[in-house]
Amino acid sequence: MEFELSEEHRMIQGMVREFASREILPRAALLDRTGEYPADIIHAAAVLGLMGMMVPEAYGGAGQDSISYVIAQEELARASAGVQAIVTVNNSLACDPILRWGSDDLKRRYLPALAGGRALGCYCLTEPAAGSDAMALTATARLDGDHWVLNGTKIFVTSGVEADICIVYARSGPDPGARGISAFVVEKAFPGIRVGKVEHKLGILCSSTAEIILDGCRVPRGNILGEPGQGGRIALATLDGGRLGIAAQAAGVARAALEDSTRYAKERRQFGHVIGEFEAIQWFLADMAVRLDAARLLIYRAAYLRDLGRPYTREVAMAKLFASETAMWAAHKAVQIHGGYGYVKEYNVERYFRDAKITEIYEGTSEIQRLVIARHVLKH
Amino acid sequence: MDVVVCLKQVVDPELPAQEFAIDAGSRRQVRAGKALVISTYDENALEVALQLKDQGAATTVTALTIAPAAEAKDAIRLALAMGADKAVVVDEPRAPALLGVEKAALLAAALRRAGAFDLVLTGCESADWVERVVAPLLAEALEASCVTFVSRIEAGDGRVAARRLADDGVHTVEARLPAVISITSDESNRPRLPKIRDIMQAGKKPTETVPSAELTALPDALRDPGVDVREVTIPQRTTKCEFFEGEPADQAVALIQRLRAMKTI
Repeated sequence: MEFELSEEHRMIQGMVREFASREILPRAALLDRTGEYPADIIHAAAVLGLMGMMVPEAYGGAGQDSISYVIAQEELARASAGVQAIVTVNNSLACDPILRWGSDDLKRRYLPALAGGRALGCYCLTEPAAGSDAMALTATARLDGDHWVLNGTKIFVTSGVEADICIVYARSGPDPGARGISAFVVEKAFPGIRVGKVEHKLGILCSSTAEIILDGCRVPRGNILGEPGQGGRIALATLDGGRLGIAAQAAGVARAALEDSTRYAKERRQFGHVIGEFEAIQWFLADMAVRLDAARLLIYRAAYLRDLGRPYTREVAMAKLFASETAMWAAHKAVQIHGGYGYVKEYNVERYFRDAKITEIYEGTSEIQRLVIARHVLKH
Repeated sequence: MDVVVCLKQVVDPELPAQEFAIDAGSRRQVRAGKALVISTYDENALEVALQLKDQGAATTVTALTIAPAAEAKDAIRLALAMGADKAVVVDEPRAPALLGVEKAALLAAALRRAGAFDLVLTGCESADWVERVVAPLLAEALEASCVTFVSRIEAGDGRVAARRLADDGVHTVEARLPAVISITSDESNRPRLPKIRDIMQAGKKPTETVPSAELTALPDALRDPGVDVREVTIPQRTTKCEFFEGEPADQAVALIQRLRAMKTI
């Protein structure tokens, strides 16, 4: 068993850390305040190969493994969870299902644009009455000649405002539950698709979250992923990959909380001492460090299994559950360590606290992760 | 035009101050166990070379370093990932202890051995010793033109125009090739980040390792460091705090008088 990153992994980590420190970190607080979409940062990320990290080079991607991917996601999220949300959704939820279930034609048409930063992807699964119970979705897809006609409303779509290419799940057959669902690649330019309500959120503010309305949207027949009825399986398998990115996002936020708290603990003086000399603070820092390391090891294990092509649903659920609860806990403690300064926007920990919460909710709440894990535990 | 960039590895200057230590016996910075990086201005020099390549003015960019071969791997790999075509490592176990005069002699020998080169770029100073002697000495040894503290280069026919930072402003000078030019930083030569694809390709580019013993001898004048380091110490920084009593207006007057007395304003 080896706990060392390869030379390439270390170089990618160094490059993304430098990119984040040069281009994202100096603007992270402003992006949080304005909620502006960081188009130039996303473009620069694409040039470096970060928008289609696991897409093969033949389709314009960087041809990387999942370990590289989670390393990069942690570095991006350490600087801004909002920027990383845009990147990870494009990679995991848009590129990945096209790569795994798309026809050669779909791969050729969409992957180079998504990986090259010329198009942005989003994932349209959740509906007003189908959140954790995603397979209860009610959007419909009906075949009409050479086109599918899609109707329904999708909500909480990350990058919904800016995205050009949407992976849309809709019910194409009479079977209830997962079996009746199909997955489609829908261009925003197709007739009958539009952005609805844009959400005002607690955190990850430079990443838009929007409603996507399908009103007789006509999608070419060939823009289906896999076969009709495979959509439920595609959605869940795609979410496994998505959870890797969110787990790494959570690790990035937890690391930011730990690093900022450590620096503050060394600088802030009270009662004649820097507060890092007090045990109460030391215990917070120690527990943050332990949980962060444990989260990262769970993430690396899940990524490793994915790269081997082995089942990793249980492991990635564990990684996502533990990392997201670590992020929330670490951000909470970071605010406490900073005291009054932690509650104001002068220091970044207030942002970490708001950003951390979403990691316990999207791409499967902590309760859904526990459900997935428990099912695996009870099988044996 | 063939461009060679001389790269030195130094202990990461970004490391916390408490990690900086000097070995009393060798009178050199402690390197064991510390993260090594390419010296700051050397990275700017590499960027200038890569820009010449982007413009089509440079045909090849070679990264050249003198280091214990095992230590040089990361720097070379990064240079190749950033876009250098090949690398030459002069394997010299004593390299971290050598001063500029000795380094310049070894670099000159390595460049003579390599054969053709038109332009040699170095950082204007290293991030550890800050001697600023390598470029002029190297030019002398190679009988090449020399321009120092240059931030931008434009290539011409057998010549280069160099934008040089000087005390009284900016000089634009022309130098005939071959030339040795030392590079300082400005907004135009911020080192690029390697793309993931280039990181993966870097391992496939050629790297030649030459034991320093194989290099031909050089004039004695260049082999003698001419400098004997007697003592190296970490400057002790002391801070003193003075309080001015009274109303804010009186405090301001007292502060101004004090600063004038200290000749800071």
